[in-house]
Amino acid sequence: MRINRSTLSRAVYAALLLGLLALLLSGCDTDTPQNTFAADGEVARDQRDLFYLAMWPAIGVMILVELGLVVILLRFRRRRDDEVPAQVHGNTRLELAWTIAPALLLLVLAVPMMSLLFKLGEEPKDDAFIVNVTGVQWQWLFEYPEVQGPDGQPLKSAPGDPLVFPAGRRIHFNVTSLDVIHSFWIPRLGGKLDAVPTRHNRFWLKADEPGAWSGQCAEFCGKDHALMKLVAEALSQQDFDAWVDEKLAGIKTSSDAAGAIPAAHPDGVN
Amino acid sequence: MAAVIGQRRSGLSEALRSAREAATGNNIWSWLATVDHKRIGVLYGFTAFFFFLLGGIEALLIRIQLITPESEFLNPDQYNRIFTMHGTTMVFLVVMPLSAAFFNLLVPLMIGARDVAFPRLNAFSYWTFLAGGIFLNASFFTGGNIFQGELGAPDTGWFGYSTLTSTKFSDGHGVDFWIFGLQILGIASLAGGFNFIVTILNMRAPGMSLFRMPLFVWMTLVTSFLIVFAMPVIAVALFELMFDRLFDANFFNPAAGGNPLLWQHMFSLFGHPEVYILILPAMGIVSEILPTFARKPLFGYPFVVFSGVAIGFMSWGVWVHHMYTTGLGTVANAAFGVSTIMIGVPTGVKIFNWMATLWGGAIKISTPLLFAVGFVGMFTIGGLSGITHSMVPSDYQQQDTYYVVAHFHYVLFGGAIFALFGGAYYWFPKFTGKLMNEKLGQLNFWTLLLGFNLTFFPMHMSGLLGMPRRIYTYSEGQGWDTWNLIATIGAFVIAFSVSVFLVNLVLSIMRGEKSGSDPWDARTLEWSLPSPVPHYNFKEIPHVHSLDDFWHRKYTEDEAGRPIPIVAGAAVDDEEHDGHDIHMPSPSYFPLIASSGFPVIATGLIYHTALVPVGVALLLVGLYGWAMEPATEESA
Repeated sequence: MRINRSTLSRAVYAALLLGLLALLLSGCDTDTPQNTFAADGEVARDQRDLFYLAMWPAIGVMILVELGLVVILLRFRRRRDDEVPAQVHGNTRLELAWTIAPALLLLVLAVPMMSLLFKLGEEPKDDAFIVNVTGVQWQWLFEYPEVQGPDGQPLKSAPGDPLVFPAGRRIHFNVTSLDVIHSFWIPRLGGKLDAVPTRHNRFWLKADEPGAWSGQCAEFCGKDHALMKLVAEALSQQDFDAWVDEKLAGIKTSSDAAGAIPAAHPDGVN
Repeated sequence: MAAVIGQRRSGLSEALRSAREAATGNNIWSWLATVDHKRIGVLYGFTAFFFFLLGGIEALLIRIQLITPESEFLNPDQYNRIFTMHGTTMVFLVVMPLSAAFFNLLVPLMIGARDVAFPRLNAFSYWTFLAGGIFLNASFFTGGNIFQGELGAPDTGWFGYSTLTSTKFSDGHGVDFWIFGLQILGIASLAGGFNFIVTILNMRAPGMSLFRMPLFVWMTLVTSFLIVFAMPVIAVALFELMFDRLFDANFFNPAAGGNPLLWQHMFSLFGHPEVYILILPAMGIVSEILPTFARKPLFGYPFVVFSGVAIGFMSWGVWVHHMYTTGLGTVANAAFGVSTIMIGVPTGVKIFNWMATLWGGAIKISTPLLFAVGFVGMFTIGGLSGITHSMVPSDYQQQDTYYVVAHFHYVLFGGAIFALFGGAYYWFPKFTGKLMNEKLGQLNFWTLLLGFNLTFFPMHMSGLLGMPRRIYTYSEGQGWDTWNLIATIGAFVIAFSVSVFLVNLVLSIMRGEKSGSDPWDARTLEWSLPSPVPHYNFKEIPHVHSLDDFWHRKYTEDEAGRPIPIVAGAAVDDEEHDGHDIHMPSPSYFPLIASSGFPVIATGLIYHTALVPVGVALLLVGLYGWAMEPATEESA
């Protein structure tokens, strides 16, 4: 009778856990604007796959430990007040095993971690497109050093302009800040990099296909940190060239070319 | 001043003597002048619990703000100050001093001593902690009219990353209060750290070798060493920041060649040992509760000790995992990624050893045990998400998102706070002679377990869906709404659970069931004493013959190794004894006077330097009187 009950409660716990897990995993599959699982670029995809590589064993261990605790509590409950179990002080072999085995397993995880780490740290290749990113409270500014304007200056974005770049190519970002530390992040294209005053941090991202994504500052940077967002647009090479021509034509006709760092405005960039 | 210590007793000296005598009864003076480790522990506990409620209210405000997208419950300025104070409070004013409360209450009892090595330094630690806590929270009143929602308080996060903390980007005095508040709290922690190292190394009863010490004492020792080495690191960082802010120095000013990342290195180099300062005492508590309630010794005591020591050492080699995205370079990230992976190993060892302790036991399911098992279960989840953080490239995605918030709350709330609740239920009878109510205790546990998971598990999801930390608002359509709604509901379940604890505490103090000296059939020396413990602790200093000495006084073993109760039972040290021939340290007001100097000095540095000499004078008077006063009253 008792055994039936504990088997039943075990089954209930297991079902509950699995149900919860299913509910949670359903969250991974949505097409929301900053979902790190909905990778649209090589970097984000590699990062997601590495995360899965650590996450699935972690979930496995979690279920084993939690179920183990429940089973132990049910099985070894004190049934009589004077019940005293055998005094086991330890088992050196067992303990060595559960020290060494996790260490080896974790070191195995380090191999794919390292290889991706060094891939993401690669220097720009010849065909890379370079964008300079500057964070300033509470907006992002972009400069395209490979696109020269008629005045010989590189093309610069105006406040609120989207980040525009060609799809299918590695984009190398040089990231810096003019005031406090920010963090440049477009989740569906890849992880973030901090914008630190006087430092020029570099990393690359790549969009598989043309599209538009939202990103936002990930390092607390003062009052309107929450509003420091950006839009990233990847265009096909053809569309991108057209966009460049249009921009350069705009500079020619416009008397006040974008470029000077604007004063921060409280509403941020939406 | 010299008259105070003159050969003849002056009027002042007589007055001090009678003031000290007034402090020997059970009145308010006796608490202000107490040097009794048990009373100081109680003071630490109640003060830290008060700050826990305060930090909890701040957490509720944060959760109310985030319950829906585009909420206007708080404005960004209020939100930023409140989350800064929530983090600062929970780390420095709650978990650290709650651990200190347990160190104070338990360490002398567990090692068979009558007090800590430096009782007045101990009082000084407490009063300095209280001064720092009050000073830090006083910053709320510096922003204008607080009743119209104009809050002061720091607004730069508990991590205070440069250059946001410069006067240019954070005007007002919030950050100044934060700097000096943390400095004062650091002094309190350092004094406590030294005190417990000396106490544990020098004051153990005869026969209590290091490897006969209860696990909690071991974890206190490791934690105290971490405190002594880690607090100076943040003290230096805070001094540099103080110079930048008050005297226009350029330690972190990039325009003058200063380096904002220098702050992050120092803060994280303090910060990572700090998280183990927060968790190791909790691990010690759990390592006492589980064996008692399973009626089995801790499985693999040496492994658990050595893994704790290993964690202490390794905690100094992982700080860059707080800085993966700051651009330190691939090789640095790789090295610290591997060290972060490896620190998971000694932590895992402990979890397996705790489970093996329970395995084969005769487990009594009651509140302290439930909290201890809850700790193991929740801490495991926090540890596993920590392993995913060591995957550096994928951590580029999770850094600074709610995934991290979920991770460290599983470690610090699911871990530390659960264990501290368990410790409160476990040792409450020792100091009051009464049991806490079991039904309310179980209600407290189950609602806390539910509320905790409702609040923090969804944060894994909102983080992976791209929700950054520390944002006061978010827009619809990000897929974050549901998770935030659930989290806010969970926060109120936690609030309910904490209220249950509060009710239980008050009811049990007033009319709890009598507990006797050893209600749990426990294993360590404190349970050999009457409850509540007399002020002199041990009538006779015990001789220790083994690990779990008290257990071996109660049980012997037959040939097959089965434990047999000794019929006479243990001779509990509860004979009538008025302790008249035992000399205990005299009460002293001087630690309180010395501590009161610190906030005055700090206020002076922020507002008007004329106050600085006043504060220094208070400090010096306190230290001078303390040095000259006899530690133990000579017999009349």
